[in-house]
Amino acid sequence: MMLDLLHQIPTAFLFFLAAGVILFLPHGLMRNTVMLGIPIIAAFQVWTLGMGEFVLIPFFGFDLEFMRLDRLSRIFVLIFCLAAFLGNLFAWHLRDTIQQVAALAYAGSAIGAALSGDMISLFFYWEGTAIASVFLIWARGTEGSYWTGMRYLIIQITSGVILIAGVALFYADTGSIAFEKMELGSLATWLIFLSFGMKCAFPLLHNWLQDSYPAATITGTVILSAFTTKLAVYALARGFAGTEILIYIGTIMALFPIFFAEIENDLRRVLAYSLNNQLGFMVVGVGIGTELALNGTASHAFAHILYKALLFMSVGAVMYRTGTSKASELGGLYRTMPKTAIFCLVGAASISAFPLFSGFITKSLTLSAVAHEHYTYIWLALVFASAGVLSHSGIKIPFFTFFAHDSGKRPAEAPLHMLLAMGITAFLCIFIGVFPNFLYSILPFDVDYDPYTMEHIAGQLQLLFFALLAFAIIYRRGLHPPELRAVNLDTDVIYRKFMPSVLSYIAFVIFSLFKGTSSLLKFSVIKFTSKLHHSHGPDSPRAASWPAGAMVISIAALLGLALFVIFFS
Amino acid sequence: MAKKITETPKTYPILGRWMNWVDRPGNDRRIFHILIVICIVSFSLEWTYEKHAYFDIESYKGFYAYYGFVMFAGLIFVATILRKLIKVRENFYGKKSIDTEDYPEDQIQRINHDA
Repeated sequence: MMLDLLHQIPTAFLFFLAAGVILFLPHGLMRNTVMLGIPIIAAFQVWTLGMGEFVLIPFFGFDLEFMRLDRLSRIFVLIFCLAAFLGNLFAWHLRDTIQQVAALAYAGSAIGAALSGDMISLFFYWEGTAIASVFLIWARGTEGSYWTGMRYLIIQITSGVILIAGVALFYADTGSIAFEKMELGSLATWLIFLSFGMKCAFPLLHNWLQDSYPAATITGTVILSAFTTKLAVYALARGFAGTEILIYIGTIMALFPIFFAEIENDLRRVLAYSLNNQLGFMVVGVGIGTELALNGTASHAFAHILYKALLFMSVGAVMYRTGTSKASELGGLYRTMPKTAIFCLVGAASISAFPLFSGFITKSLTLSAVAHEHYTYIWLALVFASAGVLSHSGIKIPFFTFFAHDSGKRPAEAPLHMLLAMGITAFLCIFIGVFPNFLYSILPFDVDYDPYTMEHIAGQLQLLFFALLAFAIIYRRGLHPPELRAVNLDTDVIYRKFMPSVLSYIAFVIFSLFKGTSSLLKFSVIKFTSKLHHSHGPDSPRAASWPAGAMVISIAALLGLALFVIFFS
Repeated sequence: MAKKITETPKTYPILGRWMNWVDRPGNDRRIFHILIVICIVSFSLEWTYEKHAYFDIESYKGFYAYYGFVMFAGLIFVATILRKLIKVRENFYGKKSIDTEDYPEDQIQRINHDA
């Protein structure tokens, strides 16, 4: 009975309901119980619901499909629920209603979008994720975070506006708003594709990610890292699977961030670059579009959300104790934060895809799919990108935070709830790695794949350990780029610096021209009238010869002219 | 190079004191040697199985080892050059960015280990 009732409610609404309910609950145990309980209930609902399309709501002549549950949407909804649970557990200490409501509304919107069967409800949820999530950035409460949030919001909302424009054109072309596989070709599908690409942080559209995630609150970043971009990956997998251009876009995405991550000082920004690089692998999987590749994308998204959250949590815990996430200010923290250090190492091993960790069993699906379709250069690039992941997320994050040179900081270990959140996430990373079939069984397609072959393990170990050897040699020789307090330019310099300065230059030129011409005009008019005044004014020599009745004569002439005109007209 | 701190006060967490092994004198060299041994072992695994390579290049003995080593070194090298091109001062974006801001103290719990 209860279960039937639960099945009537769209999963997203469970989160919105909880967001409303917590407003009336006092801070502390009761509110946190709801925050943690609702993702569990939602996951339970989705797990017991079975596949199909539920909850159709008429809307201006359209049927909105709020619950399309199939194997592709289910895995994303489940991992979103898990991420919401872990993120909220990590944020147990928070006494900030805005962030708590935002976190629930954000998770709910992302889940709602993943379950949308039509593109109008997708649009609503799409904008919902944008609006809810910006509060996690603004909650930091500083001037910098305010402006960063604004930039983030503009880009996210723009993505939504482009989406609805695309959807409207798509409806005009086809008469359908169903969210199904599309072919690139018309303006409509290109707009929808662009909108997904903005949220997915395609190259040149990516900078909102590295700009905004480090600006959010400690707990906000953990939550942000899970939803927006993976929702975009889901949307691409749903709408554009097998679109070849995605293979090349994804490869560039996997490659270029590794160079930026290597020299970035803010570790949360390093993780944002790393996130971008991981998205690249998923996008390549979508581009290949075979069953193996889409399984690779979905499983990679699942594993990635966990280990990325774990890394953001460990850096967040360090920030919570030291107030900074800058590599140049950190180092040697393992002495007093050993548990956080170990959890961070688990996250690092997972993202680097060491055998027995989650990244290994998921990334290999995508790489095998690429190899299977004989994309040699793409494959080589992705193997290189895998080594790159090791460099920034595998080595840089744990090494420069917890080891390397001693910063002299001796912060206390992270609080219990953070350790618990990190511990559960770390456990899951290892569990998925050791028992891949659990994850494989919920993938969109049936899996016939064994990641643990001798060939595969040996190849991966060689790649990683020889890369580590290269690092060790470079580091011991002092050739590794040092951690410096500096900012690195990326494409966002165009809209954060160049465009404003070009605009202000143009404004200056136009203003000067206007001011110059108007003062010139003013000056010449004054000069002309004063000359006229001088020669014809009451004090001028000519005024002496004017008859006293000059006005009467001129009025008589004017009346005469009027008579003349009237007579002949 | 890692600064050598050999003292580990008893007040530190026991895990932290164990992990301090990595900073004891001479152990960085030991770790390096262990790494070399692991590399040799992983390389020698090549002769224990038959390769089913998708690409010709993959079938070379130790392809992953060479590729990992060379590309990683190349990555660091390129990143070093890239830094020369794109590095700017930390307050480049001024107040409209969080780069030079301190994280608000009221949102964190700065506790020292001995406190």
